[in-house]
Amino acid sequence: MSYDRPHRGGGYRRRYRDDYDDRRRESYESPLDKFKATIIKFGDVDALEELPRLEKFIRDATNHPVSVVSESLRIAVTEQPFKIPYYALLLRHLHNPSDNGPSEDPTIGQQILEDFWKGFQSYLDQHSWRETRLCIQFFAHLTVAKLISTDSMLTLLQSFTAVLEEFGVSLGRAKQAAVCAAEGLMIGGPILKVDSPIQVQEIISAIQAYNDTTASAKWIVGPLNRVYTDSTQFPLADEQLDIVLHALRVFDEADFAETSSVFLQPYSTCEDLDPLTFTPFNLPSVLVPPEVIELDSLSTDAGEDTQIKKEEWPEYYISLFDNEVTPDPKTPAGYAVRSGLADILQIFEVNRKDCARLLLDFPRWVPPGTFKPKPSLDANPLPAPEPVPGKDWQLESTIVEIILGMLFLLPESQHKSVYYMSLITELCKLSPSTGGPAVGKSFRKLYSQLGEGFDVEIAKRFSEWFSVHMSNFNFGWVWKEWIPDLSLTVYHPKRAFIQRAIELEIRLSYHDRILKTLPPEMQAPDSETISENAPGPDFDYDDPAKPHHDVAQTILNLFRGRAKAEDVVSRIEGLKAALETSDEVVNTDALIRSITVQSLLHVGARSFSHLLNAIERYLPLLRNIASGGTSIAVGTGITEAKADILSIAATFWKNNRHMVVIVFDKLMQYQIVDPTDVVQWVFVRRAELPELNSATGINSLRTFEWEIIKAALDKANGRVTTARRRVVALRKEDDDIRARALADGVAMDVDADIKTEEAPAAENPALTTALKAFASLTREQKAALSKTLDGFVSYLTPASSEAQRRAITEEGWNDRGRWDKEEWNTWETWNWYRHFCRLYAPYLRSYSTTLQTVSFAKLEGSTDPSVELLKKTWNVATGQE
Amino acid sequence: MAHVITPLDQPSNYKDSQARVDRKKQNDLLSKSTTLYIGNLSFYTTEEQIYELFSKCASPEDGGGIKRIIMGLDRNSRTPCGFCFVEYYTNAEALACMRYVSGTKLDERIIRCDLDLGYSEGRQFGRGKSGGQVRDEHRQDYDPGRGGWGAQAQRLELERRREVEERYADAQDGPGAVAGGGGDWKEADTSDSRLKRGRSPEDEDENIRGGQRSRLDEDGDGERM
Repeated sequence: MSYDRPHRGGGYRRRYRDDYDDRRRESYESPLDKFKATIIKFGDVDALEELPRLEKFIRDATNHPVSVVSESLRIAVTEQPFKIPYYALLLRHLHNPSDNGPSEDPTIGQQILEDFWKGFQSYLDQHSWRETRLCIQFFAHLTVAKLISTDSMLTLLQSFTAVLEEFGVSLGRAKQAAVCAAEGLMIGGPILKVDSPIQVQEIISAIQAYNDTTASAKWIVGPLNRVYTDSTQFPLADEQLDIVLHALRVFDEADFAETSSVFLQPYSTCEDLDPLTFTPFNLPSVLVPPEVIELDSLSTDAGEDTQIKKEEWPEYYISLFDNEVTPDPKTPAGYAVRSGLADILQIFEVNRKDCARLLLDFPRWVPPGTFKPKPSLDANPLPAPEPVPGKDWQLESTIVEIILGMLFLLPESQHKSVYYMSLITELCKLSPSTGGPAVGKSFRKLYSQLGEGFDVEIAKRFSEWFSVHMSNFNFGWVWKEWIPDLSLTVYHPKRAFIQRAIELEIRLSYHDRILKTLPPEMQAPDSETISENAPGPDFDYDDPAKPHHDVAQTILNLFRGRAKAEDVVSRIEGLKAALETSDEVVNTDALIRSITVQSLLHVGARSFSHLLNAIERYLPLLRNIASGGTSIAVGTGITEAKADILSIAATFWKNNRHMVVIVFDKLMQYQIVDPTDVVQWVFVRRAELPELNSATGINSLRTFEWEIIKAALDKANGRVTTARRRVVALRKEDDDIRARALADGVAMDVDADIKTEEAPAAENPALTTALKAFASLTREQKAALSKTLDGFVSYLTPASSEAQRRAITEEGWNDRGRWDKEEWNTWETWNWYRHFCRLYAPYLRSYSTTLQTVSFAKLEGSTDPSVELLKKTWNVATGQE
Repeated sequence: MAHVITPLDQPSNYKDSQARVDRKKQNDLLSKSTTLYIGNLSFYTTEEQIYELFSKCASPEDGGGIKRIIMGLDRNSRTPCGFCFVEYYTNAEALACMRYVSGTKLDERIIRCDLDLGYSEGRQFGRGKSGGQVRDEHRQDYDPGRGGWGAQAQRLELERRREVEERYADAQDGPGAVAGGGGDWKEADTSDSRLKRGRSPEDEDENIRGGQRSRLDEDGDGERM
């Protein structure tokens, strides 16, 4: 590994030319930068060999203050945690008295450590949890190296477990603090436990006690949807705090004997420093600062707080492989490997290519024998290190498993899911012979779990990953191994996955391209695997034999000739009048809407830009239609007409769901329809249309319908976010102006009093508008959330059929081999309800009182199991249980 | 986090060679950019394929989303010539593409993303001598019929080519030829049905674009040094 030009970014790109390669930026590197880089690059080649040189380099660098060394060390520790043991070794060496002349007091090492501490304090103050935690790892190594006193280290760890006992501590904060303490203990344990077994027990018990309070939150984010049980144990997955605790206990039971075999301790061979002249550093005591409370809060009309704090949930990580292939994270060695790799994944998110390279380089930083050696291309390879019993894991499988664990985190992954997908792509590019098979095995394993209770959101992300990965690797999947599953009902999660994965592949490629990758059994139209034809539009009035073909042609020609919107409006009024005189047409409004909207979509069907051009050119016309022919102004739409527009668009593109999503998004963007209309449409109007409900029936929804609802809710929430930002910015601007006016006033002195009195009174008109928009948008947001909740309530309660009841009982679940459309769809709808609650919990909490009063009113007193499940899910998500 | 490695979302030395603003101003604009130049596309790649891939970096919950896609066209033949602009509503989304999408495949070609100063009128057309991109004229590995899978498939080749060739035959230039994609949310207009000017009554982009025109002057597709 070499960061050959750390500040210029050239190193990596020069070696892997897979796209254009001219991003290197030449910049001047100052002597200070070079000095820091030397320290940061320590260990890139061979740490032990570089050590004497680096030690001398630092000792000789009298022109750079100690603070520069400690800053470099902080960067190194927090950005390259895999090197922490070696930096501990370096610091240990720098604690040796200097050779030349009388011993300095304190040694340079002591000075560096003291200064390093200041940086730690500021990470802590800024709530930079990862940096804080990595510094604690460093301190723990230094404690084992006897540079830090054991009792001050234990006190430090206990200031983190103290957080767990705070009243009302948030889950996110508690989780971070617990892991800080636990990892410090895992590394420092051998020496800490000798010194004070009681304090070690206190730390473990504190984490345990906190973990016991998180059961209900765990229930709602478990990766398997077993609605009928309260259990928080899931096969194939472990929760972060459970993992930490379990591993910690195993460490503790053996008095941390395993520490030396799972963490590198290159300093362990150093002689003890002379106790007569050396006193270990006492870490000053700290208080973990309380959480930040946002002050610029804005309330809705009804006084609800709208500040959105991303909700923090327990984290379940999926394990796909056997413990012989990849480590069990609950064991000491497994924990160390997992957390080491996970840190790299988080830190290097800004550069997935370097990240992939560092992940593959990870075996260098763990004790030998942890991973299977790389297959050597050499004819006479060096003898591989002896495999360590219980280890000898496969690196690529381990990495992929950890990445997927993060990708499948519920309710959402920390970074955009495409990060994890692209990272896996990079791994496969760097290491095709081992990365590819690891991915293939993961596909198979994940697929095998579909239908065993896997949460539908995970299945959705799996299909997205599958399609993106295939798009990067020539769509070369061996579909034929899944042919036997064609005998399952088409509503089975495995079948749903196959359909969706293929649909997504087509979106990224071409129908005929994907069709060719399938075996004949799957190509057959009656297998319901892939559509027979490329997913094109469906224009009702194309055929001259169809009724109203002529009218449609007239309108189409106006569009094609780019007639003015106003002219089209008046023309349509004429056509409508003519149709009204004929007896055949029952609802001329609806017919005119259908003809006009379809024709417009037809013109826009050539490409996304054509769609935008068509909509934008004919906005007044669309508004006229949305308002039932009464207005061309924004926001005058009527519910009936807007629902019609959505139905027409969904029907026009019924063979191409991607286009439905796109059209709906722009209809919302241009304010032809509102998010509430879309939500309402999905639950009510769509469900009435046989053409659009064939896959779901009248009271359930599947991934595609959820996707539309989610897009609408995100649009509503996004608008509030934007409006909030605007208000905050304008207020700040106002405050600045006022402050300046005040300052000027004081400076001018003479009539200062009058001026400062007047300034605040003049309300900024932009701010007034922004506040008004904010109020409207929060109302819309609340309405959209409320309609969604209402929709789920009406779909799921009371369970009206045997099939619906089967979907939520244990007996029903165990008999799922016999499930068909209604059971699977009901089960899926429950899944989406659960996901709605946990994903939008931060928003739902603001409005929970009103929403539940309205939506649950009709359920009052019901003891139907579906009602109880519905309320339980809601209460857990909104923090009421 | 950038002491040890260089983040992928730093602006590169891609630039619009005809932009008439100084380097500092350009950097300033780039640091807020919501637009990406996408290069090395197949001539057959559709906007919907682009939409699908780039929507993976969209953050609608944060007020973002794909605002518009502008397909780069050969000035003479009005057919796609291997580049496009993708415009989001937020800068963070553009940066996410730099980190996660640039250098991955679309339609079986490795595409390249660059932060762009923002679309302005006329830039959808190539400005090379041939009508395509200048940069393609400098390329050693330039393949004139450049295709992803679309070009390789024999059976449907002709049909697809015709479809692609005709798709943008109606592309126009001049002000208002390219749709804005929809701007900020507007309060309901209760003053009712004034008949407004013909095109895009709420398109405040007009102002932004106008402003940009005056700053950047006329320019064509992006180019690299």
